[in-house]
Amino acid sequence: MSTNAHAVDSATMSTPVFAPHAAEASRLPLRAALLRLTCFFALIAVLAWSANEIIGIGLRRLTTTHYGSWNAVMQGKVNADIVISGSSRAAYHYDPRIIEGVTGHSAFNLGRNGSQTDVQLAVLNAYLEHNRRPLLVIHNLDAFSFVPTSEIYDPALYVPYLNDPELYSSLTAIDPGLKKSRYIPLYGYVVEDMNFSWMLGVRSLLGVPPSERSFGGFTPQNRTWTDDFESYRKMHPDGVSFPVEHSGVDDFTQLIRTCEKNHIHLIFVYSPEYSEMQEMTTNRREIFAEFQKLSTTYQVPLWDFSSWKYDANRAYFYNSQHLNATGAELFSNDLAVRLSVWFAHQQQGTPEPGASVR
Amino acid sequence: MLFNSLEFAIFFPVVTALYFVLPHRWRVHLLLAASCCFYMAFIPVYILILFVTIGIDYCAGMWIEDADGRRRKLLLWLSILSTCTVLFIFKYYNFGIDSFTGLANALGWHISHRAASIILPIGLSFHTFQSLSYVIEVYRGRQKAERNLIVYATYVMFFPQLVAGPIERPQNLLHQFREPHGFEYERVTEGLKRMAWGFFKKLVVADRLALYVNDVYADPRSHSGLQLTIATLFFAWQIYCDFSGYSDIAIGAARILGFGLMENFNAPYYSRSTGEFWHRWHISLSTWFKDYVYIPMGGSRVPKFRHVINLLVTFAVSGLWHGANWTYVAWGALNGVYLVIGWLTASWRNQFFNAVGIGENTRVRRIIQWSTTLVLTCVAWILFRARNMADAWYVFTHLASGWNLHEIATAQFFLRQMPVAIGAILLLEIGQIATRRIPVMSLTGKLPTSARWAAYAAFVMTVLMLGIYRKTQFIYFQF
Repeated sequence: MSTNAHAVDSATMSTPVFAPHAAEASRLPLRAALLRLTCFFALIAVLAWSANEIIGIGLRRLTTTHYGSWNAVMQGKVNADIVISGSSRAAYHYDPRIIEGVTGHSAFNLGRNGSQTDVQLAVLNAYLEHNRRPLLVIHNLDAFSFVPTSEIYDPALYVPYLNDPELYSSLTAIDPGLKKSRYIPLYGYVVEDMNFSWMLGVRSLLGVPPSERSFGGFTPQNRTWTDDFESYRKMHPDGVSFPVEHSGVDDFTQLIRTCEKNHIHLIFVYSPEYSEMQEMTTNRREIFAEFQKLSTTYQVPLWDFSSWKYDANRAYFYNSQHLNATGAELFSNDLAVRLSVWFAHQQQGTPEPGASVR
Repeated sequence: MLFNSLEFAIFFPVVTALYFVLPHRWRVHLLLAASCCFYMAFIPVYILILFVTIGIDYCAGMWIEDADGRRRKLLLWLSILSTCTVLFIFKYYNFGIDSFTGLANALGWHISHRAASIILPIGLSFHTFQSLSYVIEVYRGRQKAERNLIVYATYVMFFPQLVAGPIERPQNLLHQFREPHGFEYERVTEGLKRMAWGFFKKLVVADRLALYVNDVYADPRSHSGLQLTIATLFFAWQIYCDFSGYSDIAIGAARILGFGLMENFNAPYYSRSTGEFWHRWHISLSTWFKDYVYIPMGGSRVPKFRHVINLLVTFAVSGLWHGANWTYVAWGALNGVYLVIGWLTASWRNQFFNAVGIGENTRVRRIIQWSTTLVLTCVAWILFRARNMADAWYVFTHLASGWNLHEIATAQFFLRQMPVAIGAILLLEIGQIATRRIPVMSLTGKLPTSARWAAYAAFVMTVLMLGIYRKTQFIYFQF
């Protein structure tokens, strides 16, 4: 290392180095200068607005991935008999192709990754606004179902449709920050969205859409067990608890009332969860007591798959909360068989035997 | 408030417009009010701490100038001690107690304590040092005491450089608040371009690389040697782009308002020695330590052994300035060791290179010097970034192990981000090299307006579309 020129041994006071000034140029009159600056920023605003519109058009044209599924919903192209709603556990667990094959009723998966009950309700309301009412809504339950949303996950999914009054009002009631995505160009696609979803919109317009990974809203997870649960368990040696918030319970009540108002049957399903995670949830009794209370009060069947025959087998999960594609296939079959029985009882007008509840 | 926030995008144009509309005599009041709003956007009540330090040093400056002899020196030390006490309480209290407790326990005296929940005020280290340089310069007779409280307070709180520098000297900045600054199109556009470049560095480069670095350094034991190496290299660019990007935005914003702030970075990763690196990295801080710590200790005008001590102490204290953690002290000390070894072995290395036929200014020698300096700097950054010494040691000892090309991505940084990240770094380096070798700005100035605006608009849209905006604070805010 050369030190002669730069050794730290000068005894003289340091001389600050200033940013070089622009070379002397003809000074623009103030009015002309302001006009130029205004025109330039106006150009940026126009470009941003144009890009926002182009991306929105591109995203609305997608027919693949979960964007394609959502577009089908908002464009009224679904009209299924059975709709599954819920979080990522709904999106990754319930295969509508299997349910359709076994029950003979069309099915669609409205599950939303990273969502809580409030957002799931908003999504269901949007579905009902644009599609004919289904016969049955299966709402997937989670241990964290009673926790309200603090921030909309995957906002780029909704930004192209924020001019839909119903969707806009229900989502901004949950996350008021979403208003900026409607009124500030590109805000929803670059500031709120971390996944560069805008590139999907551009690809769609260029005729190079992403490959299909979703089937009727269901996204199979071709993954194997990861180490996430072990890290999670180390971080929480005393277990975890999920709050039962009053607003979360209210969301469930609203969901039930929405289905009642639209004469839609509703079934709560607690889909499989890895057994060791169930043991880690310290307030599981409290959470299920609340599920049971809602089920009893509003006469909503509660199907609890907590004791699913494979819930201790890591081969069917990729983490403690989610089944992989193989596990989802097995579960969907089991669920579909039970649904067939339920439909048969409905047709005969006889009640189904009570659900098992832990 | 953060520069990369919607609030600042509204705040700055409004303040700038008001600044140029107001008569000159009211502008410093506007800047002070705006700076208060800027600072209170973080934790409002902590502005009281700023007011306390401003009050202490404002009075101290006047009293020092009016005093003489021993009283003058006493007032200087009282001011320094008072200001440093504020810094110590908010920044080093828990660190001091933890270190003392750890040492006591290691010696068999079992004592325990409850850590005080003290939140570090944003930018405390920066404005504290700026205030200290003011009283010291007044004491040395190189700066007249500022008798106008509004002007002095604005000097300390000037919002472009309030929370992360550059750490200004009173001789440079103070007088600028009394000078009228008219609206000049060329100066304003120069400032805007500087800000745009700063936002590119921060949003497109630094915050993107941070996704990878944060994942790996949060849990180094869960990542492979390849991931540790990539994270370490990425961190070198992350911290440079984060900090120099902030400085660019600060300098550009000040420029728009008519103020000239000092340069804080000068392409430090092109240095060919640690000494050169510290002339190019965080220039305002390194010159502050040189002028107020190193030279008063004797600098180089002391016996060799004492010179070595002066260098090591200066760098260790510089490390401690960065944070209340032994990793920062170790990082600073390591840089001091690099400098000392480089200085002590200079003549041997010269002889070696001459003996093998690699002359002083040959390309081969320059490449060897540059690459060695870069590697040593990156190794030192491990200490800076690691959460603790145990993590730092783990990273050091596992950089070369377990390289698995199929395990590159992390939880937040998908593989498809890698080309964008590397592309952004390349664009940065091309931009820096081009600017150093070609008068880019004057060449673009000769283009027709439509071509020029198209280039500028394309750059702005690139920053908008490829930036990461998830409310990431500038790294140096925590100092």
